[in-house]
Amino acid sequence: MNTRTHVLLSSAASLVMFAAASMPITGQGGGEIGRPGGLANVDGQVKSTGPAGPIPKRPDGHPDLTGTWNGSPGGVTHTVILEEHPPGFGVLGGKSLIIDPKDGIIPYQPRALEERDRRRDDANGYEDQVGHCEFYDIGRIHSFTQEYMFVGSTFVINATQHITRIVPMDGRPHLPPGIRLWLGDPVGHWEGDTLVVDSTNFNDRTRMSLGGDFHGADAHIVERFQMVDANTIRWTMTIDNPKVFARPWTMTSPAPMKRIKAVPDFDIEDTCHEGNVDLVHLKNTYYQAHGKDAKPKYGTDTAIRR
Amino acid sequence: MRHRVLIWLIAAATVAATAHSVTPTVKAQAQARRTPDLQGVWRAWNLAKYDLEDHGAKPGVPAGRGFVVDPADGRIPYKPEALAKRTMNYEGTKTLDPVKSSDPFVKCYLPGIPRMTYLGWPFQIIQTPEEVTFVYEWAHKKRVVPVDNKTPVPTDDGGAWMGYARGHYDGNSLVVNVTNFNPYTWYDMAGNYHSDALQVVERYTPMNADTLQYEATMTDSKVFTRPWTIRMTIQRQKDIGLLDYECTAMLDDLGIDHTWPRDFDENN
Repeated sequence: MNTRTHVLLSSAASLVMFAAASMPITGQGGGEIGRPGGLANVDGQVKSTGPAGPIPKRPDGHPDLTGTWNGSPGGVTHTVILEEHPPGFGVLGGKSLIIDPKDGIIPYQPRALEERDRRRDDANGYEDQVGHCEFYDIGRIHSFTQEYMFVGSTFVINATQHITRIVPMDGRPHLPPGIRLWLGDPVGHWEGDTLVVDSTNFNDRTRMSLGGDFHGADAHIVERFQMVDANTIRWTMTIDNPKVFARPWTMTSPAPMKRIKAVPDFDIEDTCHEGNVDLVHLKNTYYQAHGKDAKPKYGTDTAIRR
Repeated sequence: MRHRVLIWLIAAATVAATAHSVTPTVKAQAQARRTPDLQGVWRAWNLAKYDLEDHGAKPGVPAGRGFVVDPADGRIPYKPEALAKRTMNYEGTKTLDPVKSSDPFVKCYLPGIPRMTYLGWPFQIIQTPEEVTFVYEWAHKKRVVPVDNKTPVPTDDGGAWMGYARGHYDGNSLVVNVTNFNPYTWYDMAGNYHSDALQVVERYTPMNADTLQYEATMTDSKVFTRPWTIRMTIQRQKDIGLLDYECTAMLDDLGIDHTWPRDFDENN
């Protein structure tokens, strides 16, 4: 019985990812597939918290972001393609999430754009880390339901799958460059009433969308969490990575994050790999396209990285 | 006269409002005083991951004392007919190919409880009044354990790799009852195992600022003749926070596709 749940979850992680990612969350009755797991009452039962009051404050006077936040209000998920795109092939159409530059196009260096397009090819979908039950990237996390809390001077983001981001706010420096992490090394601080998370020390393995967007290991990512009112957080992410992008660029979530009253479901396991039987289809597609001796590329093209 | 009533009403309202807002805080503080502070990054760095019992040296494994404190002989109280499977489990680990190994952990499956605790990778404990979150560096896994005594355990037949955990404070200890396990996880690299009847009671007790005592009592009437208990200390890791160990990415690095059949039901 439980194994069946694993199979469904792993399906979400691999073959049906495209369909799942583009399905409105409110339309998924049973809710296993594509479900941003870990929180009950997310699928189809999102409860609005009513009129927004004044922004709650922490004892230090800064906004209190504590709560559960829906990264895809209105059922909008947008993790397939970040730029404006028409609907088709199971993907909902959507406006660009890029707010700078104004044209909404990610300013790839020419060499990096070739790599992005190579990754976007269906035949290479096997290389996407999410199908392997590995980490998402910072951007994709922000279309999930997330729990925010402060523990002492630490900001904690609890998200779906196996994502927990522990963000020290004590002004410490970043880790030494020899240590590389999937979501980078986050260090937080306040700029006025905006919570800013500054991340470096990435590895070269995360993709930012199923459409093959990526950044390099030496990316510098700055996220801003700004409470607009008690029930709304506007999130932006600026990426600076000169070897991959011609200039820094900024994206946001498909809609501002909305506070929801969700009961945490403590018993949904972070399983994925345990029942990941559908990855075989993506693997077969890959080897059919490239030959049986092909080697999947899981890291960034070294010519871009160094 | 009218003014006096108004003032009285305002005063009463103020007192009521103050009482309303202060009481929960005071309660929370009192609660906080009674409960142990377990927060921080911890690491069990011992030989338990190899074998919970006394053992001689094996390939890549140092000889050492076991961690079973009850029964007093330090041996896991297997039913006679259950021991053969332990031996078979261990024999199945004698391969360098992760996919062929009988140890589910080698394939990057969730290691279960208590094995997750003493794998050797650090974990972080985060406490709020309602829940205790264990974040494990190994594969970024986490457990959110309610300690409010209000969250019912699901009654489905499920069976979970890490079980369903419910916690409460007992004096200076955090006690976590874990039930509803599936039968696929082991205790160590020596093939020690359990069935789906397993129930685990974990006990985390601070000994000093930088040391936790960890106890786990295992009850499984299908495999063991009686409950048994392990005990070890866990040290605070001070030099660095949680980092990464994305287990399945290591399989990628070894050139191993993750697409072997998942044949749990056939094997168990």
